[in-house]
Amino acid sequence: MTAPKQRAPIPFPSKEPETTDLVRRCQSGDTDAFETLYRQHAARIYTLACHMAGSPEDGEDLLQEIFLQVYRKLGSFKGDAAIGTWLYRLALNHCLDYVRSRQAKMHKLTDTLDAEASFEPTARRETPIARLDLERAVERLPEGCREAFVLHDVEGFDHKEVGELLGIAEGTSKSQVFKARMKLRALLGRRA
Amino acid sequence: MHPNETAINAYVEESLDPVERREVEQHLASCASCRQLADDLREVLRAATTLGLREPPVRAWSRLERAIKLEREHAAPQDAPGAPHAAWTGRVRWAPWLAAAAALALATAIGLRFMPTTGPDPAASNQPGAGATIAAGEAAQSVETELRQAEAHYEKAIKGLEQIASSEQNALDPATAATLQKNLAVIDQAISESRAAVRSQPTSDPAQQSLIENFKMKMGLLQDTVALINEMRKGNEAGAARIASGLKQKGD
Repeated sequence: MTAPKQRAPIPFPSKEPETTDLVRRCQSGDTDAFETLYRQHAARIYTLACHMAGSPEDGEDLLQEIFLQVYRKLGSFKGDAAIGTWLYRLALNHCLDYVRSRQAKMHKLTDTLDAEASFEPTARRETPIARLDLERAVERLPEGCREAFVLHDVEGFDHKEVGELLGIAEGTSKSQVFKARMKLRALLGRRA
Repeated sequence: MHPNETAINAYVEESLDPVERREVEQHLASCASCRQLADDLREVLRAATTLGLREPPVRAWSRLERAIKLEREHAAPQDAPGAPHAAWTGRVRWAPWLAAAAALALATAIGLRFMPTTGPDPAASNQPGAGATIAAGEAAQSVETELRQAEAHYEKAIKGLEQIASSEQNALDPATAATLQKNLAVIDQAISESRAAVRSQPTSDPAQQSLIENFKMKMGLLQDTVALINEMRKGNEAGAARIASGLKQKGD
């Protein structure tokens, strides 16, 4: 059996004429155009924010802050990259800032594998992992390995990119993702 | 001898060189527990690729729109030449109370961002000696203080939103207004129960979390209500229907 291939980040609508026109309308102050831009990208950004923050409540706050930043900075968007790429980058940076400031605030270091014992034992299950169960389990991952897991296994970045984004070594990204998978295995009752 | 788990993980990721890969494969052929680990890691990887998009709550756009309008109202024209907020042309007149509510709600949400989600730092409470007791006590006190501040912020924000919702409630159709009242009553009951739990166990993390979650739920419901009233004022029937449907679903 072969492993699932890494998924490339979901492409955004790119420099199609209507997208360029939409951005131009946003930059000229058209509120309807900004709402359209929001509706095109909100789900993608909200999903990323929820995964990175670990809760839908914080994800919603992040979504709001991100689009406020989009609103503030859209005037400086020159169209060198696709608007979706620009927006995703801005969102990702905001999420990473949030994660870093929360970690600094809470002095919460990444757990080690020994902390797995703190998860309640679950009877082993052989059925495929349901999406909703995984969503909940990801929210319960400790900070550090959750972000690495989300960026690598969900968002499709490679370990080198994850390392650069999180400011950690490539090897640390590998070990964090491994920790996350092992914790998910335990949380989802797949450990004997 | 079993390969280490990291090697099995690398095997699943297909990042081993051919020699290492062959060694792991040979081992997996004869070891059920390592094979199980490889299958499980593969399943976690597979499931991760199935995580779909989440739709943000319907109120999210209304909250954002209010915050943007507020920001534009407060921005000096010369602040950022060419930036959107200097050029945006509002098509709807926004009542000052709405702007105030938006500011309050946004400030509350951001202010609570750093509210601890766990109890006192376990590292502090594990320190040996009298210092540890003091540290743990201070940490607990700090959490309680933050909780009280959070509670005050939420109550203030909720009060503002409640005033708006009740003064404008005539704008809602009777069925929606009744659903709203019913939902508010349920949340109020939950708030009073979690508040009682916090009072009896001030350092209990679940009790604190429950209280905050209930406050957030009430704010969310009131924000939805204000967003609904707004959409109705703007004559945006589709937007109003979308929010009203969300309100009803919460009551089901």
